[in-house]
Order: sequence, then C-alpha cells, then structure tokens
Amino acid sequence: MRWGMVIDLKRCIGCYGCQLSCKAENGTPPGVFFARVHKQEEGQYPTAQTTFLPVLCNHCDDPPCVDVCPTGASFVWEDDGIVDIDADKCVGCRSCMLACPYSQRFLNDEPRNYYGEQGATPYEEARVQRHQTGVVMKCNFCRDRVRNGQDPACVENCPTIARYFGDLDDPKSEVSRLIRERSGFPLHPEKGTNPNVYYLPA
Amino acid sequence: MTSTSSGRYEQLLKDYQTEYRPQREWSEGRGFYLIVGHFLVGVAAGAWLFGLFFQDLISLLAGFVLAGLGGLAHLANLARPERFILMMLRTATSWVSRGFWGLTLFLVGSVIYLPSLMFTDTFWQSDSVIASAGVAISIAGSIIMMAYMGFVYTASKAIPFWNSTLHPVLYISYALRGGAAAYLLSLAFQGEAVAGGSDILVFWIAVTATVIVLWLFEIQGALTSGEEAAVRSVHDILAGRLALYFYVGILLIGLFVPVFLMAGIIAPLSPTLFAIIGLSSVAGDFFMKFSSIKAGIFMPVRLQSGNTRRATRRRKI
Repeated sequence: MRWGMVIDLKRCIGCYGCQLSCKAENGTPPGVFFARVHKQEEGQYPTAQTTFLPVLCNHCDDPPCVDVCPTGASFVWEDDGIVDIDADKCVGCRSCMLACPYSQRFLNDEPRNYYGEQGATPYEEARVQRHQTGVVMKCNFCRDRVRNGQDPACVENCPTIARYFGDLDDPKSEVSRLIRERSGFPLHPEKGTNPNVYYLPA
Repeated sequence: MTSTSSGRYEQLLKDYQTEYRPQREWSEGRGFYLIVGHFLVGVAAGAWLFGLFFQDLISLLAGFVLAGLGGLAHLANLARPERFILMMLRTATSWVSRGFWGLTLFLVGSVIYLPSLMFTDTFWQSDSVIASAGVAISIAGSIIMMAYMGFVYTASKAIPFWNSTLHPVLYISYALRGGAAAYLLSLAFQGEAVAGGSDILVFWIAVTATVIVLWLFEIQGALTSGEEAAVRSVHDILAGRLALYFYVGILLIGLFVPVFLMAGIIAPLSPTLFAIIGLSSVAGDFFMKFSSIKAGIFMPVRLQSGNTRRATRRRKI
C-alpha cells in the first residue's frame, strides 16, 4: 500500500479551506503549515492568470529529508509509505528542511500563540501545546485519521472536492485512475524524489 | 509565552510571500553557529594535518582546541542539543551523522596522541602503539571532518546553489588553506616564520589557486544550471546583499592582503607579517563560507511552465 493524494487544479478555488482545516485538525502553531496554498500569477494584462497551487508534504518514495536526517527522526512507515517524524528523536538540526525540494518542513522553534499578549486560548492549550518545541514538524497525511478509515482533514474539508486520497499501488483506485486519465503530474520530478502527491491540470 | 508578533514569525510570513526565499535556517539565529562550527572544524582538521606533517605541537594543539570549539558551535546550532548523541545513528545515509562521527574520532584520537607529546614522562611515548593508534584515528576523523561539510550542502536538494558536486572538494581545499594559515601563525608565534615558512607559502599559493579555480567552476555551474534560484544566489554574492562580504571579506582580506604581503612589497617577510598573512587568510575563509551558506536560496515550489501552458490551452477549448 502506498497512500497518495491527487489535487485537481481545475477545481481548486484558492479558498484556503485545506490550510485552515489542517490547522484545526493538527493544531499547528503559528509559523507551521502542513498544508499551504500558493498563488502563482503568470502572464501580463490582459492575459494574466492566477493559478492556485495547494502544497503539502509529497510523501516521496525517495525522500531526501529522510536520507539526511542524522538521528532517524524522519522515517517512512513501511506499511503505507507515509513520511513521518518521530519528535522524540529530532535534534532540530534542520537538515531536512534544506533537503526538502517542496519546503514542507517547519521548525517549531519556540512556544507561540495566535493572540499575542492574551496568551494561549483553551483551544491552543489543548492542541498547539501538545507539540514539542525545538523540533521539525510536517504533514503526515493525518495518519491517525487514515488508520481509522477517514480521509485526511484537508481532503475531507475541501468544499470543491479538489482533493482525492487513496492507494497509488492499486491501479483501480480513484487516485490512480485520475492520474492515468487526466495526465496527473507531480511537482519537480527532476529532483528524483518520486512524490506521491499528484496534480491534475487546470 | 511568545506571541505571533515575534520577529522570526513575521520574517517567515514575509519570506513565504516571495518566490525566491533565502534560507535562514543555517545562517541566522542559532543557525549562525553552524557557519562558525563549519569554519572552525575545517581549520581544525587542516591545522591538525599540518601539525602532524611538520610535527608542530602548536598547530596540533590549535587543531584540537578549534575542533572542540567547533563541536560546541555545532551543538549550539541544534534546537535540541541535549539529544545530540542520537546523531550517531544514521551514518548509512546522513552526512551530518558521518560528520559527527568524524569529529568524535578526531577528538578521541587527538586526546590519545597529544599527551604523548606534551607529557613525555607521564604517559605513553609518541612512537608507541597507543600514540600511533591515536594518530591514525585522528587522521581518519580529520579527513571525514574536511569532507563532510561539502557533502552536507550538496545533499540539500532544496538549495540549487549548493547542489554542486564540487562542493566537497572545495571544502577540503578550504580546510587545507586554513591548515596552512594556522601553521603560518604557529611559525610566527615561534619566531620561525622566515626560516620555515617559505615552503608553506608556496603551498598556500597552490591551494588558494585551487580554491579560486574550484569556486569559479562552481559559479559557472550555478549560472548554467538552469536554476533561477542558483543564479540569484550568485547575484547575491557578486552584486547583491552579500557583495560587501565578497569584495571586502573574501577578495580584499582573504586574497589581496596575503598576496600583497607575500610579495614583500610593504616590508620584508617577518614573523609579524606571517601572522598577518595567516590571520587574513583565515578571515577570508570565514567570509567565503559565510557568504556561500548565506547565499542559499530555496528553489521555488511552483507548477512548471509546461503544465500551466497546457492548462491555459485546455481552458480556451
């Protein structure tokens, strides 16, 4: 089994719903974004166009972040191919952040909250504070949800159903079919990381 | 409790709004210690090898002390330094882990060898098996120390400017140049500069020429790589935010001053002059590492133009 995601750029409206639902699900502190939406503008008036590019960890088959990690904190789950971080092993050397071609790793370097001098809200106490500081964080495809038979939060909450999640090893899965039929492509294949997040052209 | 208004957070958000984001992880905040660490460890390895070759105790001691300080700087770079021992676990794939082993071997080997030179009556003799083992271990460690830094940068796939296969060779050359400079300082300290320093000056010129050639190849490689981020890094060094460090730190202090003094234009060669040559060479090496690390720019995460064009065409249909 190899979990993967397909993002349909034709359906994405750049609402940042994935980013927000990810934050709500994972309680990521300020400065840590497991899911982001890039706005990419091309061309010039009057033919300019804006493309929204949702990005997240690509859970590569050959993840350079895992190779460079000196402690084994970054690792790949053998049973499903998800790239994850064992926070208890991370020394915060940040090698993985510089190895990831997709810039999808973030250092949670100090305790932060969203409301300044007011201090942490009860929600933040419950969700944000559970994360260790001084360690690198990243998306793990909401592995706990996936193991319980649910889709990742960003997939479940996308209002335009632009995200699909499934087993890339299964040729009959929806993700495999979409990639095959609609010419799905990964980001930066030239880096040789063999990503498991694919995009469908707009 | 820190709020979101902290400078680093604001900087992060600002960086993410730009297409070409400079790396700050290994150059700002605690990341600055990594530059210091790599600089110190490189000079330490070079000084140790020169010390062994010329049997110069001061160079050996300098190498040992600098390696120790470099190790501390590496620790200061970590966000969780208390877990440093875990860094020994992944030598199969991680150059950071290999570097950690290199530094450890070096320190262990030098701790075994140095007492035989300093306390001849108390410990084992310098030609004993134990001392020889210390030498062998320290040499292995210093070779790893010299090489690992370049490989660490080469493995950073997100920074196109660092993705050069020449980087490890360049860092080995820096270390040798640093070692030659440290030996010059040692000779100056002992007042033997003029008698013993001419050979080392020739070596310094040769290794400096090697560094220049390698660096030019690296710049040429970056400019022709087709990676805009790498081109911007070169621009930053030559004509952008790091130009001052390049022209003053690297060229003036690290290259022109030593060459000018070597030519004997100001004054005949003397221990003082040799000390200045050594110091300026080492300072130039620091600025070289500082600017090449600081010049790192993340490759942008974006759709390739082919995909966008295809998307536009489909929309028109």
